[in-house]
Amino acid sequence: MTTELTVLTLAALLQCLQFAAYSIAGNRQVGSKVAMGPRDTPVHLTGAAGRLQRALNNHFEALILFTIAVVVVTLSDQSTALTQTCAWLYLAARIAYVPAYVSGIPGLRSAIWLIGFGATFVMFIGALV
Amino acid sequence: MGTELNILALYGLLVVVIVVLQVLAAMGQVGLGALLSPRDDAAPLTGVAGRLERALQNSVVAMALFGPAVLILAFNGTTTGATLLAAQAFLIARVLYVAAYAAGIPFVRTLIWAVGIGATAFLYYACFAAAPPAA
Repeated sequence: MTTELTVLTLAALLQCLQFAAYSIAGNRQVGSKVAMGPRDTPVHLTGAAGRLQRALNNHFEALILFTIAVVVVTLSDQSTALTQTCAWLYLAARIAYVPAYVSGIPGLRSAIWLIGFGATFVMFIGALV
Repeated sequence: MGTELNILALYGLLVVVIVVLQVLAAMGQVGLGALLSPRDDAAPLTGVAGRLERALQNSVVAMALFGPAVLILAFNGTTTGATLLAAQAFLIARVLYVAAYAAGIPFVRTLIWAVGIGATAFLYYACFAAAPPAA
């Protein structure tokens, strides 16, 4: 297994944890009856629960880009020290992103997001050159 | 445009570009401060910023479908001239899709979208139609 694939697995585990955190916070806010209902009326989470929900959705988007970068790099045998470092950087940024979002500190979350996004971008370039 | 895998990497780059464009458009509309905030009471984006947001969401869905098809073909070594052509058509259609969405051109956007999903569907068909890889 390449380093990138190991990191991808860890990133997927992170998403499982993020889902659990969001689910627990959401259930505590609106109650399990609403959470398990058909949600015909949109449920609007506020505070930390809303932030965890948006962090989860953002990571789905980031993860699909990262997954493609990892698989393209791995399948085309182009794993280098650079792509491996980028993969670890991505994971570190996405872990830090969650508390940064919940804290609500303006700018911090966006700066951390940019690190993960940039790492993914460099992996695509690494796969193409 | 090389191989299907190359096109997949290029499509990943396209999505990166859409993200950047969407952020810039949203920044122009609500300001950097609102984007940097935790967005607890964010108002929906309108105009081009909203269109780019929807185009991005659609592009992510398209990538979730296109990615596995290319990876299956590449992994099994069952790519053909036709699958390369379909992947190229997909990439071109998705570039045009974003432009058509941002420009607000109705109907044509949907036709372009159909080219992309059609090309993706063909790739899945090719996954099954190809001879199984040697064990």
